[in-house]
Amino acid sequence: MTSDLSLVTRPVEDARGLPNAHYIDESVFTEERDAVLFANWTGLAVASDVPEPGDATPIEFLGLPLLLIRDKEGCVRVFQNTCRHRGMILVDAPRKIEGAIRCPYHSWCYSTKGKLVATPHVGGPGMNAHEKIDRTTLGLIEIRSHIWRDVVFINISGQAAPFEEVHADLIDRWGEFSTPVHHGGSDSRFILDVETNWKLAVENYCESYHLPWVHPGLNSYSRLEDHYNINEPGQYSGQGTLVYQQLKGEDDATFPDFAGLSAFWNEGAEYIAVYPNVLLGAQRDHAFAIVLEPRGVGQTREHIHLYYAEDDTDETMRGANAALWKSVFEEDIFVVEGMQRGRYGPGFDGGRFSPAMDGPTHCFHAWVAEQLIEHRQALAAE
Amino acid sequence: MSDLENRLLAAHARHDKPELAKLYQEAAANTDDIGSQGFFLTQAYIFALDCGAPEASQLREKLSRMGRI
Repeated sequence: MTSDLSLVTRPVEDARGLPNAHYIDESVFTEERDAVLFANWTGLAVASDVPEPGDATPIEFLGLPLLLIRDKEGCVRVFQNTCRHRGMILVDAPRKIEGAIRCPYHSWCYSTKGKLVATPHVGGPGMNAHEKIDRTTLGLIEIRSHIWRDVVFINISGQAAPFEEVHADLIDRWGEFSTPVHHGGSDSRFILDVETNWKLAVENYCESYHLPWVHPGLNSYSRLEDHYNINEPGQYSGQGTLVYQQLKGEDDATFPDFAGLSAFWNEGAEYIAVYPNVLLGAQRDHAFAIVLEPRGVGQTREHIHLYYAEDDTDETMRGANAALWKSVFEEDIFVVEGMQRGRYGPGFDGGRFSPAMDGPTHCFHAWVAEQLIEHRQALAAE
Repeated sequence: MSDLENRLLAAHARHDKPELAKLYQEAAANTDDIGSQGFFLTQAYIFALDCGAPEASQLREKLSRMGRI
């Protein structure tokens, strides 16, 4: 089916949200996969998932078998996890590649940079070359990738403009946070499985309107009027606060700050949705990244990672911080799942936005709609 | 079944790649047949390559000299 998006791209005062089909219809989910998630720079994982050279982890993303690997020189790469010979899956569980990636079927071997380095018996027993098998053309298929703030973004279509170009404004906005982020380790990552379409997680994240109702604990010190909307049409949206408070440990200890921040960030913090599916938080003493993994039209896995300015932060404080954020994000689950269920009501027309409060959500809807319109136009022109 | 065959099967069962690289080299050394040598050295090379064993490059050179790569 083709949904009507004409109302979605109107100014926020007059717009409707994306129609129900964009949350519950399998064919629209597939259309958005191609037009939105494959065509743009989409979050796949974090580089900290493969911390050491040779570390490799298979990831199935929207049905695509991918391999995230840190090559022997330390560069993080993403390949199709598929042997160029018979299409066998190369790596079926996270592991260290000690030497080469050897296909478990006929043992064609690839370097960690994806080069095909050996084709045993390809010319007959004990003959490892054949004139018709040009190894230089049979390396692993590499997916364009770019790492920013530890998040591994991929562009599956290969057609998007360079990441630094697409996100130049956001990179500049957070230029003060250009010092490295340090993943907090195993106690600073967690997963939430949510029965919702991935977009609803984005929409809920980027607006502050719900805070007093859904996060009353946060609102006790971080009131609605202390927040501001972030709306950058065609790029990103989110929310900021002017009253960020640091977590305090024993004897009022705090996490170390990121170096070189201006006074604004003493109490300022920003929470931005990097379209399509990455949610980032930037604060003076820690950051986080949420990579939304769409697992079906109504299933999303949230991969949440916490980062600090240094490697050796206090373990007890890290644990408390992770528990705090987990409780906040869990408070959102009933909302995103409830909105998902609500979209099975055929009379719902996408909803009306508060012009004052829902700008960031509308910004995201309009961006999604624009991606789809562009995609449909391109298909029509073929 | 020879002792070497038994050791090869046991190493395969353990997925012991460094040992497989060594045993296939031993198998190559135990035959005068050039074709069999090519087969066993290929097996040794691939397992050495897989596990990052240092002899992988020497095995590759040997196969190359035999015109098998």
